[in-house]
Amino acid sequence: MTAALRYEWVRIRTIASTFWMSGLAIVLTAGVCAVLAWRIDVAKVSDLTIGEASTWMVTGGASAPVVPVLGALFYAVMGAMTMGHEFRYGTNKATLAAVPGRLAVVGAKAAVLSAWVICVAVVTLAVDAAIVALMLPGVGIDSSLWRPAAEYLGYCVGFALAGMSIAAVLRSQVGAIVTVLLWPLLIEPVAGGIMRVINVTTHADLSVPYSLLPATAGRRSMYSPYTLLSSATGGVDTWGLGESTVIFWVAIALLVAAGTILFAHRDA
Amino acid sequence: MALVQARGLSKSFRGKPAVRDLSFDVLPGTVTGFLGPNGAGKSTTMRLMLGLDNGGGVTTYDGVPYRELAAPLRHVGALLEAKPFHPTRRAANHLRMLAASNRIPRTRVDEVIGLVGLADVADAKPKTFSLGMGQRLGLAAALLGDPDTLVLDEPANGLDPQGVYWLRGFLKLLAGEGRSVLVSSHLLSEMALLADSIVVIGRGALIASGKIADFIAVSGHRSVVVRSDEPDRLVAELGRREAEVRRLDGGALEVRGAGLDSDAVGRLAFDLGLRILELTNREPTLEEVFLEATGASEEFRASLGIGPGGPR
Repeated sequence: MTAALRYEWVRIRTIASTFWMSGLAIVLTAGVCAVLAWRIDVAKVSDLTIGEASTWMVTGGASAPVVPVLGALFYAVMGAMTMGHEFRYGTNKATLAAVPGRLAVVGAKAAVLSAWVICVAVVTLAVDAAIVALMLPGVGIDSSLWRPAAEYLGYCVGFALAGMSIAAVLRSQVGAIVTVLLWPLLIEPVAGGIMRVINVTTHADLSVPYSLLPATAGRRSMYSPYTLLSSATGGVDTWGLGESTVIFWVAIALLVAAGTILFAHRDA
Repeated sequence: MALVQARGLSKSFRGKPAVRDLSFDVLPGTVTGFLGPNGAGKSTTMRLMLGLDNGGGVTTYDGVPYRELAAPLRHVGALLEAKPFHPTRRAANHLRMLAASNRIPRTRVDEVIGLVGLADVADAKPKTFSLGMGQRLGLAAALLGDPDTLVLDEPANGLDPQGVYWLRGFLKLLAGEGRSVLVSSHLLSEMALLADSIVVIGRGALIASGKIADFIAVSGHRSVVVRSDEPDRLVAELGRREAEVRRLDGGALEVRGAGLDSDAVGRLAFDLGLRILELTNREPTLEEVFLEATGASEEFRASLGIGPGGPR
């Protein structure tokens, strides 16, 4: 495993896309944070505490149903490239010649990718906190940040692993990028929208299928305050915070398992 | 020194056998040519040898399968793809990545880059590399761990004549140091100059293996080339002896069969009172023997009617 970790650690640092994807994640999340800090009138915040409003800003909108979590999309693409490059450029043979243990290769990719994403996402949170401190002096960060921030880190890591695993399943970098972007940006929002329309027009109870949408569940798990925001989903009742987190991670675990099994058993 | 033993290698793609119960050895101190027509299963065999494809059989390197080698790059160097690297990762970084996995010192990266003649472009991105430069980088990767064994799939692809000449000398030098070198190639003339032994496969099955000289010796392609001032009389006499005679450019005759060698043809001409202007035994080329041996096992055949012996 250490051989695979050494290989992967050099691999991720010697490719330019790692740095520009990380940079874009930081810059765009900071941009969202700045827009929120500019637009939210803290003095008129009603149902939230000022600390919760600052949590929205520091997480780049991730803890509020405002905008897509842009950073996670870049991490997802980074994940797709982590595995997709192996197939796109035929480097999987060189990789497996150097490190024949396939489970070790996948494990090292997942570990190094996750560590990298956590570091970049923590930098993102720190940059956002600095922006809030600069633009809204006196608005402090309170303990309401920690839970959504932890969920935010998990969400980013989860989507990076999803991109990596989808690339292993499809053996295609382009296919993985398209899939991992369409999933949270188009497929689930459309599916969720249809369920809400059905709910409104027929009063059918769609809380179970809606709650089971994994990317939506992961997105919802970052909401702060959870109960207030998760109940505002077009009249469809959703499950609790713990269940939402579990649903997201079960989906990620299934994808990782599928990618790992296929990578381990297919021809290189 | 590493003895490579491939035993019972087999592989099917969707039920169609690509490699069938293939066994051969690659001996230390030799360059072994791996020959076969397109689609014969050479690349698949090499991937099986390195545990990259799933299939039957086992290949051992001094008794140890590839997947069980600790730091495999220190034992076996492989070149399997024409450009097996990311186009925007600098050449030296590509090698450093491989080196890191097998605890190979970074100084070795600079050594092998110099060895294959890429020192000037070590920090360049390989997307600008020609096919030949890509092959050199792949070769550098194979040499990184200073391995006892080299498994190289078409390493001369894309190399210019100087590059092919350099590669030939380089691989012979490596074999001379006691390493086992397995090289696949379509360039039979090059293989005849490079290899000590060959493994010939067709449709995934072994056709022949052993020393090149032995492979050629069992061929029926030996002939005698003779040129006389009265070729018609000689042709008539050879015909009576049931020899196969073919007229060549310049009035020469190629005589085959009937147990005739140059001595026998010379005596025959003397008995007939003919003046002999040229008389040589002609050994078949590796290409001729290869085409004869693999003729029936060609996977993909062109439809122009051109094959061994010229247009049909």
